[in-house]
Amino acid sequence: MSNSNNQIQVANLDFTGIKKNFITYLQSQDTFKGYNFAGSALSTLLDVLAYNTQYNGMYLNLVANEMFLDSAVKRSSVVSHAKLLNYTPKSAIGPVAIVNVAFVGVSGSYYTIPQYTNFLSESVDGVNYNYVTTDSHSTQIANGNATFSNIGLKQGTLESYTFSVDTNTNPSCIFEIPDSQIDTSTLSVLVQQSSTNSSYQIYTSSTDYLSITPTDTVYFVQESTKGNYQIYFGDGILGAQLNSGNIVKINYISTSGSSGGGANNFSLMDNLAPFSSYTITPVQAASMGQDKETIDSIKFQAPKAFAAQGRAVSKNDYITAIQQNSLGIQFDAVSVWGGEENIPPAYGQVFVALKPKGAYDLTTTQKQMIVSQVLKPISVLTVEPTIVSPDYTYIQVTANVLFQQAQTTSTPSNIQDKVTSALYGYSTSKLNTFNSTFSSSDVLSTISSVDKAIITSDFTLNLQKKFYPNLSTPTTYKLYCGVGLKKGVVQSGVTSTPAIQVKDPSNPTNIIDSVFIEEVPAPTNGISSISILNPGFNYQLSPTLTILGDGTGATATATIINGSINKVKITNAGVGYTSAVVTVTPAAGDTTGVNGALLVSLDGQYGTLRTYYNNAQNAKTVLNSNIGTIDYINGIITLNNFSPVNVDNALGQLTITVTPITTIISSSYNKIITIDPFDAGAVSVSVNAKRN
Amino acid sequence: MAKLQKIYADLDLTFRKVPGTNDVALRYDDQAVVSAIRYLLMTNFHERPFQPTLGSNMNAMLFEPSSGVMASMLKDEISNVISNFETRATINEIMVNTTSDGQGFSISLSVFIGNNTTPTNISLLLQRTR
Repeated sequence: MSNSNNQIQVANLDFTGIKKNFITYLQSQDTFKGYNFAGSALSTLLDVLAYNTQYNGMYLNLVANEMFLDSAVKRSSVVSHAKLLNYTPKSAIGPVAIVNVAFVGVSGSYYTIPQYTNFLSESVDGVNYNYVTTDSHSTQIANGNATFSNIGLKQGTLESYTFSVDTNTNPSCIFEIPDSQIDTSTLSVLVQQSSTNSSYQIYTSSTDYLSITPTDTVYFVQESTKGNYQIYFGDGILGAQLNSGNIVKINYISTSGSSGGGANNFSLMDNLAPFSSYTITPVQAASMGQDKETIDSIKFQAPKAFAAQGRAVSKNDYITAIQQNSLGIQFDAVSVWGGEENIPPAYGQVFVALKPKGAYDLTTTQKQMIVSQVLKPISVLTVEPTIVSPDYTYIQVTANVLFQQAQTTSTPSNIQDKVTSALYGYSTSKLNTFNSTFSSSDVLSTISSVDKAIITSDFTLNLQKKFYPNLSTPTTYKLYCGVGLKKGVVQSGVTSTPAIQVKDPSNPTNIIDSVFIEEVPAPTNGISSISILNPGFNYQLSPTLTILGDGTGATATATIINGSINKVKITNAGVGYTSAVVTVTPAAGDTTGVNGALLVSLDGQYGTLRTYYNNAQNAKTVLNSNIGTIDYINGIITLNNFSPVNVDNALGQLTITVTPITTIISSSYNKIITIDPFDAGAVSVSVNAKRN
Repeated sequence: MAKLQKIYADLDLTFRKVPGTNDVALRYDDQAVVSAIRYLLMTNFHERPFQPTLGSNMNAMLFEPSSGVMASMLKDEISNVISNFETRATINEIMVNTTSDGQGFSISLSVFIGNNTTPTNISLLLQRTR
């Protein structure tokens, strides 16, 4: 008998390992010798023992996993752990479209679009989705016309349920809504006294247990083990208690979540008060829809919500509160920074930049709602939350790829498609959010990972700023690129698309078409100014200033007051300087003047923008020689009192294209860098095949 | 025939008691191996946990028409299961015949167990029981 085998090993959890442990153990005895033969009776018993051991091991492992939020796999377990952290998983959220609706041929004083009026969307991926109004809208009728502006339409259909309260069979008054697609932000709950008494009270959702009184008509929402949502009511201490005989009536919108997003055109489906015709004008395509919160998201969000404790003190608190908002607005990214970090500093403020899901920016109303309903109630008294729009900088990549044709069956066209798709994918996964970095190494590795046959690649980069010029009032625009810009030379530099129409400065009634913005080619640099670093002392005569650098011809003189340099005058700016220093030498005969030090600034930090058009003879004609500046060092483009009459673009969007001095571009605060997924020209790839 | 000296010992799956000691009866040597071969032949694929290929497919074959082809297939099956899973036995001869009523198979199996030079015979009758 071997001593090493007389203790059974319990480390294995797989069937084979467990059985092997049994066999190893049995080797230490000599009563049964058939343990190692598959057909033996003992082997059959070992199978049963090993199976039972494994079964129990797996079961215990599963139970142990489900006991912790980090390792739980079943949704019901994760939701249960989240409940201990006072976190309710977010339901599916219907996307919202904004439209203007106009009715013609109506009568009376007011015209109303009732709550839950049904509209049918255009086809989105082959499906026409139902949309409803979440509120009732009324407007005054003028000349037989009723016009509604900015009506919100939410994707989904109205659903209703009625529950009878019986405190004997359901003492907790928990009612499960048998619909996994409920949008809980649309839930409305009212409680009727009884089947014979139709008076009712409206109950509101509550998550703040500290402010609830015993008579508050509030309800609470939780997710059930089946994955549906349940509503439950107060116990007479935390909120009003229901009584037997009460009837709970609920309405909500059942939504398809994110899949209904993108719809922009709608038709009315319900019969409203008589009208002769109507038009629905899209304002904003349906966006910000979301599917029911995933298990991973619950695991991520619940501890953060718990850490915030219903208050907004740290940056993370703000981010959590916004992500958890009950307004039904979903965000891809949230960036928060204190006013003291802002440029310029704004003490006592917290700045919040939000990138909504499926949209570029929030509407003004949504921003106000986030501030008043989400941030204000939980932020520190003396801190003012301010929402800042995201500032997008679009990246335009032009890539060249060389690949070995012999190593792949892909054609150059295939490679081109794959690289293009990979670059858009890189933007989606790594950029397109706050605090991200575009780096050339990432781009090159993205390209090379597309196909093993790719030998090498390179790319050039442009940045684009897109904005909607005010067509009625001259406005000054400052476009921040977030990175230094290359100085343009002839035939290159800042450009604009599409063409704009502007008034002729010499004859404002004359509108000039096909006007573009361009950078004035930068002149050769001279000396721009000389500032005094140290005025020195005991100068008896004006010192001699000598400007040294890679240019020629620059001269300057200094004026002395009380022995110190008081003023420097440039007598010749010189040409061709890209770097210059100035030395201060006491004049002949001046034996006491010392320590004067000056600093040279060169021309060229700022460039000039102008507008031009091609005249009838196709000759470039400058329309306005100075409509703004380019700060090359800080990457800021300024358009002063810019007042186009029209932009030749359906959206009225003007794009300014610049070239950065580096391919490493980082974003911070409210800046987002991205490759525009809706711009087919944002990625341009040329592919060459090496054939030997 | 030289008797083996209890090289192999196994449980008797009938779990009958040994009179007097009330212990569970054991099977030794050629008896143990014969039992093991019978168990293997009667075990269906996927019957034993995590060992889907252990056993034979004989039960499934009994639903096929009784013929010479089937008899040959049964013979192969028996040969495979013994050579794959019962290393203590070496096949001497396998005979599979249809029964006189054509409703079953009579199997005569002759194997050498261990180093024993005398074959051990196993007879099996496969037929429907109801």
